[in-house]
Amino acid sequence: MSFTTLPFLLLVGLSVVVYYLLPQRVQWMALLAASMVFYCVGGGRTVVYVFYTAATVYAAGRVLGHYNELRRAAPKEEKKAITAKYKPYRRAVVLVACLANFVLLYVLKYWNFTADLLQPLADALSPGSQIPLSELVLPLGISFFMFQSVGYVIDVYRDKYQPEKNFAKLLLFVSFFPQMVQGPISRFDQLAPQLLAGRKVDYTDLKYGIQLAMWGYFKKMVIADRAAVLVNTVLDDPWSHSGSIIAVGVLFYCIQLYGDFSGGIDITRGVARMFGIDLAENFRRPLFSTSLADFWRRWHITLGAWMRDYVFYPLSLSKPFGKLGKFTRRHIKGKLGKIIPTSLATFIIYFIIGIWHGANWRYVAFGFWNGTIITVSLLLAPQFLRWKEALHINDQSKGWHLFQLVRTNILVFFGRYITRAPRFLTAVWMVKETFLHPNLPDLYNGTLLTLGLAGSDFAILFCGVVTMLAVEWYQEKRGHIRPMLERRSPLVQWLAILLPLVVLFCFGVLRADYISSDFIYKQF
Amino acid sequence: MSSKKWLVLFCATVLFLGAAVLGFNWLVDPYGVFSHKTLEWASYEMTLNPRTAKMTYLEEHHQEYDSYLLGCSSTSSFPVESLNEYLDASFYNMIMYGADMLDVEEQAVYLLEHYEVKNLVVNVYLDNAKDYNTLPDPLRSYTMPAQTTGESSAAFLAKYLFMDPRHSLDKLTAWYEDTYLPQSFDVFDAETGAYDKSARDAEAIGDMDAYLESYPVFANYPEATNSTNEEAISGTLDALAHIRDLCEEKGVNFLVLCAPVYADYLDYYDWDQVADFYTRLAEVTPYWDFSYSSVSFEPRYFYDETHFRNCVGEMALARVFGDDSIYIPEDFGVYVTQDNVQAHLEDMAQAAPLAEESYTANVPVLMYHHIDEEGNDDVNISSELFEAQMAALAEEGYTAVFPDDLAAYVYEGKALPDKPVVITFDDGYLSNYEYAWPILEKYGMKATIFVIGSTIGNTEHYKDTDYPITPHFSYEQGAEMVASGVISIQSHTYDMHQWAPYEDSDQPRENILALEGESEEDYRSLLSADCQKIRQVIQEGMGEASVHVMAYPSGQFDTLSQVTLLENGFDITFTTQVGSNTLIKGQPQSLLGLHRYNMNESVSVEQMLEWVSPARG
Repeated sequence: MSFTTLPFLLLVGLSVVVYYLLPQRVQWMALLAASMVFYCVGGGRTVVYVFYTAATVYAAGRVLGHYNELRRAAPKEEKKAITAKYKPYRRAVVLVACLANFVLLYVLKYWNFTADLLQPLADALSPGSQIPLSELVLPLGISFFMFQSVGYVIDVYRDKYQPEKNFAKLLLFVSFFPQMVQGPISRFDQLAPQLLAGRKVDYTDLKYGIQLAMWGYFKKMVIADRAAVLVNTVLDDPWSHSGSIIAVGVLFYCIQLYGDFSGGIDITRGVARMFGIDLAENFRRPLFSTSLADFWRRWHITLGAWMRDYVFYPLSLSKPFGKLGKFTRRHIKGKLGKIIPTSLATFIIYFIIGIWHGANWRYVAFGFWNGTIITVSLLLAPQFLRWKEALHINDQSKGWHLFQLVRTNILVFFGRYITRAPRFLTAVWMVKETFLHPNLPDLYNGTLLTLGLAGSDFAILFCGVVTMLAVEWYQEKRGHIRPMLERRSPLVQWLAILLPLVVLFCFGVLRADYISSDFIYKQF
Repeated sequence: MSSKKWLVLFCATVLFLGAAVLGFNWLVDPYGVFSHKTLEWASYEMTLNPRTAKMTYLEEHHQEYDSYLLGCSSTSSFPVESLNEYLDASFYNMIMYGADMLDVEEQAVYLLEHYEVKNLVVNVYLDNAKDYNTLPDPLRSYTMPAQTTGESSAAFLAKYLFMDPRHSLDKLTAWYEDTYLPQSFDVFDAETGAYDKSARDAEAIGDMDAYLESYPVFANYPEATNSTNEEAISGTLDALAHIRDLCEEKGVNFLVLCAPVYADYLDYYDWDQVADFYTRLAEVTPYWDFSYSSVSFEPRYFYDETHFRNCVGEMALARVFGDDSIYIPEDFGVYVTQDNVQAHLEDMAQAAPLAEESYTANVPVLMYHHIDEEGNDDVNISSELFEAQMAALAEEGYTAVFPDDLAAYVYEGKALPDKPVVITFDDGYLSNYEYAWPILEKYGMKATIFVIGSTIGNTEHYKDTDYPITPHFSYEQGAEMVASGVISIQSHTYDMHQWAPYEDSDQPRENILALEGESEEDYRSLLSADCQKIRQVIQEGMGEASVHVMAYPSGQFDTLSQVTLLENGFDITFTTQVGSNTLIKGQPQSLLGLHRYNMNESVSVEQMLEWVSPARG
């Protein structure tokens, strides 16, 4: 069930009404019911995977909680001994829970990729043999709900909070429907209390939720869906286009991706807000990033945070890394020796982030691209500092800031060549074409108008992107827009309802592929 | 504003906008599915979806009809007017473009169960052996109305209520752009249900090379491989059997016609498959088969690669109803039953084009104006030269014919003399009476004079002005010539060939085209009135039996003027374009826009003989 369909809007509307009509004690059940309806309509039978994940983390949580209880209940003097006694069990439980989920994720999402890799080996060992491929349908939102659930188990293992005793409530945490499509990846201690709390109607929540969702729809339908037409035309078949058109295609892909992803998150957060739930922020104006590392702190924030908390820290603090740190400090002098383990961990994180996006070589390459640049700049940071001093660059100046923004966005731009190209090698070819055979006249000789978008679409897209940038710039510099609006006259406030609705309808809901009646019967 | 107020305002705005969009779709109703008639425009609605809009139209008008013609788009060319005459009925043409036999069956069942039906005629096209149950577009062409499919009518109407409002906006735009002639958005004639082919049927057709240039599809027929399939054939035949049984049960006259198929199109099918289909069809019902004959090989009988022309439909119906007053190619149309189907298919396999000269004729037309002793103008000729030309024609064995003779050839297939020539005079000068008539009589020739009604009998002055005029003959003189049988008097308009310098008006009418800024309606009624007037004065004042031929003033014409002339019964027209003419039996459009050779003092006898020589055709 896509966000942009009427059934989704009806589901949201209906569940909001039911939610606030129910006694506060059972309001969460309305959310669970809506989530199950959403998942069954959108994901069909794959709902069993949601139950599977919920069941494994529920069981693991209960067992880990039990051990935590035992430890807490133990007299002070025995605590250490008890902790030590149960440590292997606790580790085993968390390991089993993680494996139970990640192995399934691997089979569903990555097995076919691995099988393709291993096939030559199989051929060599036993000619004619075929490694069986998985024909299972990838469940909706699996990467989101699984990471979110595994995070829960690890947190309980770390005794951050008590495990959930009611399976249905945990199931709601795993399957809360607005986040099933594009995330964010929430934390149990932040989300669950909000999901389960009872509420009176809060009109401000409803209002802010609607406004945020409308903004998301604007980015998704007016901007992203429109840009997608050109992107698909150019990048599904890059071989038929010149280098400059390929670059335009990738630029539009950046616009599409940002509009679609951040728009989707805004819809998710808007819908959640209508139930009085504040979901974690997932984007913080990534266009204004000053470095690639900064970009990843602003883009898909919850994935980055998850990686930090559940992969980066444990990895950095693990014994092998401790040993590596000691080794480098001893053998490499200066700052470099200190940061090598961190850099390695960073590199591994971006590699995983790359793979997280999908099972394909180009995502591996995407991980390398980000990991390499960030690691290298980490390693070379002291050198850069010296250069800056030598060149008398004031790193507080606006000019330097602008330079950083442009540089970062260019790096992101070239990273997108890799993720959108049909194959990794094609991406390399596309970059080569951009520089070697740009054929610049294509940018103004009318070629742009043959790529599926009419002149009016370019105009709408341009206005849409300018609006989006203006809003983000305002948010970056001044803060929230809504309080500013609320001080205006009722007429202006009403126009701020009417205008977005009209724009959404005319340029979003009404599709560009409409065939006018003129074209139905040409031969008469 | 409080958040609560904001929320109320938001909901109200959403409801208001939603209601506005739905209300707009409901009000404009471009598909003609809602029963209100506020902005009814049946021909537009039928163009968008004939399946839905025709049902809506009939809900209102079915009392006016008692018989129905069903089938895919080629069905349009069986003219309901002829069916009405032959069967003394009132037919409605239900054609739905792209119809398969399932659509036809659904429609037939509904019609038979809900309306009074006397006759049901079904057209079976070769493609019915290929497609059955084509998947519909959600709103448009292939969607059948709820009343025939049994779909819930609420769900059906909801689709049209919630559709993209640009569908409705398009209707309003089209309304603004609508003209008298059909455009791509209003191709149907709502009252008959058939395609409005008025514009296409008014274009001049003659020479094959020119035709192939205008319709390159016939010269380079698109490559295709078509194949019948068992599912389509059995679906089609079952549907037909169902309709047949229902007609029998209700005592309705049931008739099956198989439409002509263009030869190149049929060639893309495997002949054995085609024969199998027609054989099995005969097991279900006897039928009139027009699918493959000499007609299939003549592109000038087709609008495009799959649609035969209305004139062919006329011939087909004449064959069915034994009307021998019009031309029908001998091999066109066979009544097929189980008994003769095999023999028929054997004949059909041998179908071949007719010899060109057996159904087409080349006819040169000479265009004279004033006969002047001086003979020094580019439209004047001396009586000496004129006489020499007539003498030469007689000498060389040419026979002068009237336009009516051309009509008899085209409509009835009546033979023309060996070396026919049409002699014409424009404007109606007195010199025609004084010099030309006696000379024509002397050499056994005939001529047609196109008179301008408003200057008949003007011997000194142009109309009621003081401007001098070349003398024009009078009604009495015209009557004398008509009575002699040598001259036919026809129209050069009553008053649409004005001489600009002598007219008071800012916008004199020098030809039959609309004036700049003139409304279509005013123009058409003026041209129609002019047609009636000139016919009346010639018939009453000169005793001409039938006035239906026109020479365009200054040779100017366009589609709208030609359509209006046809509506007013002028079915033979002459231009000033130079060249010979190809007449085609059974194709009345070959009588339109006939070319003429301009005759004046500079045209030698030899030159003329070369022009009229049959070898030029």
